Amino acid sequence: MVTGPLVVSPGTKTTTRRQRRPGGRGWWAAAGIVLLPVLIPPISLVWQVVTRGTGTPVPLDRLWELFVATVALTVAVTITALSLGTATAWLTSRTDVPGRRVWMILAALPLVMPSYVAALTIIGATGPTGLISNWLGFDIPTPYGFVGAWLALSVFLAPMAHLIVTPGLRLIDPATEDAATGLGASQRRVFFTVTLPQLRPALVSAGLMVGLYTISDFGAVSLLRYDTFTRAIFTLYEGQIDRQPAAALSLILMVLALGILLVERRTRSRASYHTSRVRRIRKMLSLKKAGRIGALAFLGTLTTLSIVIPVSVLIFWLARGLGAGQELGTVWEETIRSVGVSIGAATLAAFAAFPIAMITTRRKGKMSDAADTAVWATYALPHITVGVAVVGFALAWARPLYQGLGLLLVTYVVMFLAQTMSSTQDSLRRASPDLEDASRGLGRGPLTTLRRVTIPLATPGLLAGAALVFLSVMKELPATLLLRPNGFETLAIRIWSTTGEGFYTRASVASLALLAVSIVPLLALMFRDLRD
Amino acid sequence: MLKRLFALTLLGGLILASCSANDGADDPLVVYSGRSEELVQPLIDDFTEDTGIDVEVRYAGSTELAATLIEEGERTEADIFFAQDPASLGSVADMLSVLPSDVLGLVDERFADDEGRWVGTSGRVRTFVYNTGTDLPLPNTIDDVIDPIWAGQVGVAPTNGSFLAFVSAMILERGEEATLAWLEGLAANDPVDYPKNSPIVAAADSGEIEGGLVNHYYLLRLRAEGEGDDSENWFIPAGDVGALVMPAGVAILSGTNLPAEAREFVEFLLTPEAQTYFANETFEFPLIEGVDPVEGLPPLSEINAPDINLSALADVLGVAARLVAEAGLV
Repeated sequence: MVTGPLVVSPGTKTTTRRQRRPGGRGWWAAAGIVLLPVLIPPISLVWQVVTRGTGTPVPLDRLWELFVATVALTVAVTITALSLGTATAWLTSRTDVPGRRVWMILAALPLVMPSYVAALTIIGATGPTGLISNWLGFDIPTPYGFVGAWLALSVFLAPMAHLIVTPGLRLIDPATEDAATGLGASQRRVFFTVTLPQLRPALVSAGLMVGLYTISDFGAVSLLRYDTFTRAIFTLYEGQIDRQPAAALSLILMVLALGILLVERRTRSRASYHTSRVRRIRKMLSLKKAGRIGALAFLGTLTTLSIVIPVSVLIFWLARGLGAGQELGTVWEETIRSVGVSIGAATLAAFAAFPIAMITTRRKGKMSDAADTAVWATYALPHITVGVAVVGFALAWARPLYQGLGLLLVTYVVMFLAQTMSSTQDSLRRASPDLEDASRGLGRGPLTTLRRVTIPLATPGLLAGAALVFLSVMKELPATLLLRPNGFETLAIRIWSTTGEGFYTRASVASLALLAVSIVPLLALMFRDLRD
Repeated sequence: MLKRLFALTLLGGLILASCSANDGADDPLVVYSGRSEELVQPLIDDFTEDTGIDVEVRYAGSTELAATLIEEGERTEADIFFAQDPASLGSVADMLSVLPSDVLGLVDERFADDEGRWVGTSGRVRTFVYNTGTDLPLPNTIDDVIDPIWAGQVGVAPTNGSFLAFVSAMILERGEEATLAWLEGLAANDPVDYPKNSPIVAAADSGEIEGGLVNHYYLLRLRAEGEGDDSENWFIPAGDVGALVMPAGVAILSGTNLPAEAREFVEFLLTPEAQTYFANETFEFPLIEGVDPVEGLPPLSEINAPDINLSALADVLGVAARLVAEAGLV
């Protein structure tokens, strides 16, 4: 483990230099092995469209509509979710709001909710006979269309921002903020001129994660009736035997995602902030009475919307169905399978992310930027598209792997690698490469340096990323449907098959099981944040 | 230390996952089921219990499975395709083997492929579900549904397989042009679109909409969940596609290496036992003689269904999807 005295100049802002360090070939080789499967979905997709054509093409004016709708939703959700998540992260890790640690968990909890379950419960809660409408005694209209999709995705993706920003806040050296305060800056000014700029790397990765997720989401936009690219793609795959129009549309969506990544690249700050691991006691900002009430009202409202209402609806359905004599149906096997593949994929994703994070943070260049982009581009693809692309690949080139568990796991890793990669990059960026240089300078070999310095530095990011992948795999549906072995039913599949036919009671059981199981890795993920 | 922890969890995860994968006996009968696990798994369990034949089921959407079968081609492991609609079955018709005539003879010939490659197993009827509090006159023909009095009040699921099958049937009944005109009329009437049938029924029951175009059994399903008292099914009486009977059906893949077992499976679905299950548990119409639908449903013969060659449905499914898009419904 690294200890304090090794560290050089805490909180220094340094500009990333293009560095050539010895021993790079091994990392590149490892990264190459990881990148091969990452490239399968995009390449297979391009191959499908090039060799088989686009089928009945989608009219241009419809494409334009979808484009505008998708971009509008993505921008709105990203801004809102980042603001909400940063607010909850700051309130729960920097102020003395009552019940701070409880709120910290509650703000992250909605992340375990699949968007299709969230949307379903929103519909169940509102409308003329919705649960909430009934309680209040008047009709709350169901927020269909843009507003519904925007609110639902913002509220349920804010936890993602919260989870990324919270450690970001913790890692900011208090000295910088103390200095600003000491020089007479107001709290507000410190937040906007000192804290926020240092949060920029965390905000950028949270923004990408939220934005590109929004692009690929199907559940919320379909149930809440907002027409995006992904909804159109799903509709085509589900309604038509011919898969080409959907493949063509997916390709356009991928180009859109690449465009977003390009913009992000251009605007990304070249600066990085390295922080020491020296623990300093941070004073919590003491809220005044009005601030405290405001903070509690904000956190309370968010929790009500994102946890209390959805869970109440699920429990209501359960009770209603049981009252009408419905059978519960057990979900033990599904739970075990879901947990099994989630653990497997999360672990593999952590291993896979490490070399990529190394080349993208320690050996930056055009090639490593391309690797980074490829990982994000695959993350932005709708899961059904990834599934179909992998099916096409496996049937053509790797028949023995088709419908095997191994291929399913690899597909999960490919889909969610961006999560482990980006959190590991954050960890590595925070730690100055000088630490590794120092270790080498002190005569340690590359392997010892890796084991004693680099891996410990990357561990928080690897673990956080793995936990995120676990949660994502638990919720994943479309690719699982296409790629799982025969008879391999997971909780998400159970929820899909029960809601499709209106078996609300059993859908509730499966949903509640999924939520319950997902809480464990979420708490593990927050362990460090909570300890502070 | 960390590495070991990782390796351990990975190993544990893999073992956990592979243990729970369904890899019991060698060479089970592989069924691709576009019918939901909730609806048919209990029946398949009964089949295994009765015959001792192990069955491995792959559940997904009917259309998706048809596309999968086409993509897998001859190398598919599927022995049976059990689908929600004739269109999915028809689109893989050249991969199916002809069923024995005594099996086909169990159901009315309008509910089987005209070349005998699939057979209907249960009937699903298109219906107009409505809120019982509505003041509007119930539609006598499918054209009444696009009357302006229903503007903004009718729920549809334009992307759902059952709606596309309904549009396909209309194309066979009226031709492309007239169908497009009807769809444009529907679009102009500001319908409320839902992703699936069950939310339409729930919305009609709650009064969010006055009525909706769905299959008949979703209301019965909602009632089983303890709701659905404020809505009713209305079988459009004019004899047009408004009351189309759309059988779910089953077929045997011609590449099967278990032809005897596959045949047993198909025969099982047409036994009184299985047909009674469909009637009482999935609330569909049984298709063999001597089994009645669940209480509250009229006998199938009383429903004035249009005479449509369901075998041709697959040929126009792509057209249907195109027309629905052209009319601006998706």
